[in-house]
This record gives sequence, structure tokens and C-alpha cells, in this order.
Amino acid sequence: MKKTGLLALLLILTMVAAGCSTGTSQKGAAQDGSLEITIARAFDVNGLDPGFLTENAQVVDNIFDTLVKRDENEQLVPGLATSWSQVDENTWEFKLRENVKFTNGEPFNAEAVKYSIDRVLNPDNNAPTAGYISTIQEVQVVNDYTVHVITKNPDPLVPTRFNRYPTEIVPPKYTEEVGQEQFAQKPVGTGPYKFVEWNKGSSVVLEVNKDYWNGEPEVKKITFRSIPEASTRVSALLNGEVDLITAVSPEDREKIEGSSNAKLSSVERAGNTVYVGFKTDVEPFNNPKVRQALNYAIDTKSIVDNVLRGAAVQTESLIGPKDFGYAGEFDTYGYDPDKAKQLLSEAGYPDGFSATLDTVNWYIKNTDVAQVIAEQLKAIGVNITVNNVESSVYRTLVPSGKQNSMYVLGWSSTNTLDADAAIYAILHSGESYSTYSNPEVDAKLEEARGTTDEERRKTLYKEIEEIVLQDAPRIFLYQENQYYGVSKKLNWEGRIDGSIPVATMKAADSK
Amino acid sequence: MRQYIVKRFLQSLLAILGAATVVFFIIRLSGDPARLMLPPEASEEQVAALRESLGFNRPLLVQYLDYLKDMVTGNFGNSLYFKESALQLVLERMPATMDLAVSAILIAVVIGVTAGVVSAYKKNTFIDYLINIWIFITQSLPVFWVGIVFIMIFANQLHLFPTSGNNGLISLVLPALTLAAYPIAPIARTMRSSLMDVLQQSYMITNTAQGFSKRRMVLKRGLKNALLPVVTVISLEFGVMIAGAVVTETIFSWPGVGQLIMQAVSNRDFPLVQASILIISILYILISFITDMVYLWIDPRIKVQ
Repeated sequence: MKKTGLLALLLILTMVAAGCSTGTSQKGAAQDGSLEITIARAFDVNGLDPGFLTENAQVVDNIFDTLVKRDENEQLVPGLATSWSQVDENTWEFKLRENVKFTNGEPFNAEAVKYSIDRVLNPDNNAPTAGYISTIQEVQVVNDYTVHVITKNPDPLVPTRFNRYPTEIVPPKYTEEVGQEQFAQKPVGTGPYKFVEWNKGSSVVLEVNKDYWNGEPEVKKITFRSIPEASTRVSALLNGEVDLITAVSPEDREKIEGSSNAKLSSVERAGNTVYVGFKTDVEPFNNPKVRQALNYAIDTKSIVDNVLRGAAVQTESLIGPKDFGYAGEFDTYGYDPDKAKQLLSEAGYPDGFSATLDTVNWYIKNTDVAQVIAEQLKAIGVNITVNNVESSVYRTLVPSGKQNSMYVLGWSSTNTLDADAAIYAILHSGESYSTYSNPEVDAKLEEARGTTDEERRKTLYKEIEEIVLQDAPRIFLYQENQYYGVSKKLNWEGRIDGSIPVATMKAADSK
Repeated sequence: MRQYIVKRFLQSLLAILGAATVVFFIIRLSGDPARLMLPPEASEEQVAALRESLGFNRPLLVQYLDYLKDMVTGNFGNSLYFKESALQLVLERMPATMDLAVSAILIAVVIGVTAGVVSAYKKNTFIDYLINIWIFITQSLPVFWVGIVFIMIFANQLHLFPTSGNNGLISLVLPALTLAAYPIAPIARTMRSSLMDVLQQSYMITNTAQGFSKRRMVLKRGLKNALLPVVTVISLEFGVMIAGAVVTETIFSWPGVGQLIMQAVSNRDFPLVQASILIISILYILISFITDMVYLWIDPRIKVQ
């Protein structure tokens, strides 16, 4: 009696399971052939006003346009501006696109550009990212479709600044009417998608802007979800619940590659350039020979191959290959423990020394990497204690200079894609994230930031890298890759600048 | 009787003040959020300016007294990260957390009580041992692991339920089961031992002598008398669930208070952390207050004491 009952129960369970597994509907392509997609990111949206973001612009960049855009090769191309040129040292002229309307019917014109920039620069508004455009003195309206951007000093990055947040263009009338707080809840832009709804804590829904100036995109509806847990994100993709996921952890790469309905999009060197920083004013790291010795003692290739399993690219360059100012790769420090020992002896530390290495979970396998570094340094007599710091603590610890004299940090040019963004903040003396001070490097960094002569800038950045490599204010390690999981029904590749322009996505079979 | 209720009420107020104080100081131990609110490139001057505009450069005691004053008037301030009323944010997310906690506690009660009764009824048989082993296992498994395994089996392999999100009743199943997994054990254990105690009471032995069937005795007389300690465990576990949904909500991206707290803590969003912890403490204290009142009603003996 009991046995038959149990058997029946098992049978029913199996049937339910089997029935449901074939019954799940794959959503995405709706019956009428229009493409609707869901994107799962690790972070929740907390505001949709591009001028006042405290996160990246992945969502808002689908609602708004910038004057300048980047094509699939990360080249600057016309956006809401049809052309731009430098008029004199401190003046840039942007010719604006005519007959563009915001999705509420307001016209796009020079006034809108001036308004959008003014409200971010206005110190009363406390815009968190105002620093990205603080070189701008003012925006002058020349006529309806021409603006002059006046900078305080010559600024080579003006076109780039008008490609990234916070310079998205907002409609002045609507923004004034609803006020800043409301605008962040119900944004209106000129972009390829219109805001539909925001379910706090779970999703933001956008629908296509049929009158988009650059043609109607193929994807008609986007749902942005937040799934903080990395393995759940992958499960949701493999289950067909979402079509695109960001921040795939390197351990999950094979899971996605082996799946029948999703593929992996790898973006080489789209992440941070990771290094071990030294406090160069603290003994023994005030001695360049010690710093060089530590560089010789680390087998970066082995770390990249064995610990990171290829999720990063070994490099001594602090500037990424897509950044303006990239001077190619360098090969200054091979793995050479004998030379390391010799340098340590020359520096007066034949028996090595002890130090603490701070690290944080912002970087791939940070603890493992730190442990391997500690082991490799032990081989030359340097005893390292690894100190894992909690994320929000680290974010205040490092800029306040209270970290230990060896610390792991990563930096990248993110949306700017320029050497200035990649290295100024971590090399110029006195900057919050810099523990290095070299007047020669400072002078070159400042000159490169202040000239619009492109050739001169390239030369300067190459020189800076050469000096820094010799001076070794850090252990040069690698630049991380980034991974996206993409449904097989979509054609899309991840981008170096980390943006997700849904308007460029196509259905896989429509090529 | 009235004196007892008043005393319990005052105790509750004191507990809430205690929670408010602890959360205020603990969250400030690791520094303030000014740096976290600005992009990494921001200079120390920008950070200092923001810190001043937020009032975090004032003496801690002044901030604390202001906070208590505001709290009494129900003002928790605006979330630094979401730029909305912190209290409003917490209350908006509360229904989702309650959905989850209530369904989880129902599941846990049904399974836990059943398992406890069965194992007491079948004391020292194979089924009893089986249930005990199972209870032991569920209690030792980390919630995090249970959640991920549920997703792998029920979402990825069997396609029975969605992996995550809040999309109708079906998406509630996995997170509720995950959250229920832990409290099943204490409920079942308490039920088992309490029922076994009751069954050995003299009035039950009298019942046996009167020729009542064992099943009838357990279900009609025993269960009712054995429930009291189980109610305590259930109410405690329910309180823990509201507070402990943080992990479950994060795994399943369930848009409740737990996930909100997670974000608030990592952004050092002081007003939001304070509001959410305080609301949860109030709920917790309220639940235990109600439980005590329920006792008065279930067990007349307490009134006498």
C-alpha cells in the first residue's frame, strides 16, 4: 500500500516535470516578428537623469542622444551634432542636426544644448559627474543650430566629452516643468527609445521611438532588469528569461559557451588595468631599485594563464589599445627572480623585507592573485601579508591615502577612451588615487591635457609611459577582459566603452 | 493583566530605541558615503564639499540627536542614492518582502508541523529517523547554496519556475521554498519534542485508559496542547525571515527590503539603512509583542503569574 502510494507520487512528479519542461515558452520574438529583449545587469537603476547619474549610462544612453557618438569601432561620429571643429584655442563649434524632436514634441536646438550643459555645471545643482565637463567655461548659442563651447583652457577632449554622460541633451521646457527629481523618474530625450515605466527595484521598460532621426531600430521593446547575483544572471540567460547579461564572471564562461541558446561575447581589455601600487614615499618603496626588483619577481604570464585562466591580458601599458595615446606594448620586465634578488641586494635589502598588500573584490579573483603575488615575492625574500578589504571601505581608504604601502588597484579610461582618463588620476602627484610623485611626469601630463595638438599628445604619452616603466611606481600586471552573455537570437557584440546601444542590435537571422 | 501589557509595550519602545542607536553608530564606523556618491575621479575638495552639504562633518552626537528628533516625527530623510524619501522606499518594498516571508513561513509551518507530528507519532521508527536526518541536513545547508541549487534544478533543468524576478505567483515559489528551508527544522524539532511531552502527560494516559485511539489522541488532544512552544518558534522564525531575506532576495533578485538593505549598506546610504533597519526592528518587536498577547489568549495560566 505504502509503496504504491510513493510510486504514484513519483510518477506524478515526473509527469509534471516533463510536461512543464516542454511547455515553457521562449519569449523574445513576438508573434508579429517584432523583437523584444530583456537585459539583465548587476546593478539596479537609481535614477534616469543623464546629468545626475551615480552609475553608468547603459540605460539612459538608449533614451538620450549625445552630440557626438561612437561607432562600432569606437570612432567618434556625428550624433546630434553633424560636425564639429575647433575655432580657436578655447572655442569649439558644433553644427547641430536640424528637424530633430524630443519624444514629447519639443524641438532640439542650440538652446537645448546650452540648457543641458548649464544645469550640470551649475554648482547649486551638485551634479555628481560635473567633473567630467568642468573644463567648460560656457556654451554659447550662435544661432538655432550652431553652438560654441568655450573652455577655460585649451582642452583636447571636448568632442569626447560631448560623447559621454553627463552631456546627453535634455528638453529644456519639460525638464523645467517637472523639476529635476521628477525628470529622473520620467525622462524624455531624443534617443532611439522612449521611457515607458520603471518598477522600482526590478525593471525599467523602454519602447521604440518610431520617429528616431537615425531610423527606427529593429528591437521594439527593451526591459532592463537587475539581477545582482552573477550565477542567477547566467541561469536566467540559459533559461531564456533574459536575452543579454552583463558582467559574466570568468568562471561562467564555459557554461555559456556550452549552451544551446546563448553565446559568449568577449571584449578583450575592456576592463580595468590592474596593478599593485606602491606608496613611493614610504620605505623601502621610495627606492626605485626595490620597485623594479618586485616587478622582476612577478610571473604575470603565469598569473594570467593559471589564476585568471585568460580572463585578462598581460600588459605593461597603462593605456588601453583603444585609447587615444596608446603607444603599443612594452617589454621592460620579464620574469627574472635572480635579477630581482640582485636588485634588492643593491638597494640594501639582501634579506628582503615584510609588507602588507591590500586588495579588494573589485577585480577578478583578487584574493587568489594577491596570494600568488605573495608567494612569488616570498621567493626573493619579501614577506607579504595579504589584507582583503571590504569594498565600500576600500573606496574611501585608497583616495584618503590610508591604505598599506602596497595595494591592488585597477584603472581604465572607461567612456572617455583617452590616455588622460587612463593615467592622469593615478600618476599625477597629489591626485586622490596617486601615490606617485615625479615632477617630470606631472609636467608632461599637464601639457598633454592642455594641448589640442594630437601628435604632440601622442609623443607625450609615450614618453610618460617610458619614464613610469623605468621608475616603476607599481607592479605592472594586466588588463581585464569583460564578458557578456548574449542570446543566440541576437546579433550583438560587447563594446570597449561598456555601452549597450540597443538600436544597433539585430535579430540573428536577419543579418 | 493591563499592567503586563503596558510593561511589554514600554519594553518594546526601549528595544526600538536600542535598535535605532545601534544602527546609527554601526553604519558610521566605516566612514561616510560622500566618497561613494561621487565618481572615482572626484577630488578630495569635491568630497569635502559634498560631506559638508550633507551635514556629515558635524559632531557625531549632534547628528545622533538630530536623527532621534527626526525619527520621533517619522522623518527618516531622503535616501542619498535614490534621492527619494527613505521611509517611502522601504514601505514600497515591504509588500514584496511580506509576500515572500508569509509564503515561506506558511510552507515552513505546514511542512515543519507535519514532520514533527509524524515523527512524534512514529517515534523511534524508520520514518522518525528519516525525518530527523532530513531536518539535520536542511538546518546545516547555507541559504545561498540552497537557492542556487533550486535555480539549477527547478529553473534550468526542469524549467518549472523562472530563475528570478517578481513576475506573478510562479516566481514566488523558488525564493519562498529557499527561505522556508531553514525554519522547517526548528519548527519540526520543537513540534516533535513538545508533542512527545504532552503524550506522556497523565491526562493523555487517562485517555489511553479510556480507550481513545492513538491517532485521535494525537490529533484532537495532543496537538492543541503541544502547540504553545511551537508558536513561539514560529513567531521568532518569522521575525528572522523578514530580516533574513537579504540573501534570498539577492539571489532571486526579489525586489524587497532585503535587496534594498544590501544596496543601501554597500552605498553607505545612511538614511536608507536607518529607515529599513528600524522598520524591520519595529516589525520584529511587534511580532513578538503580538505573540505574547496571543499567549495570554491561548494559555490562561500566564494571566495568573
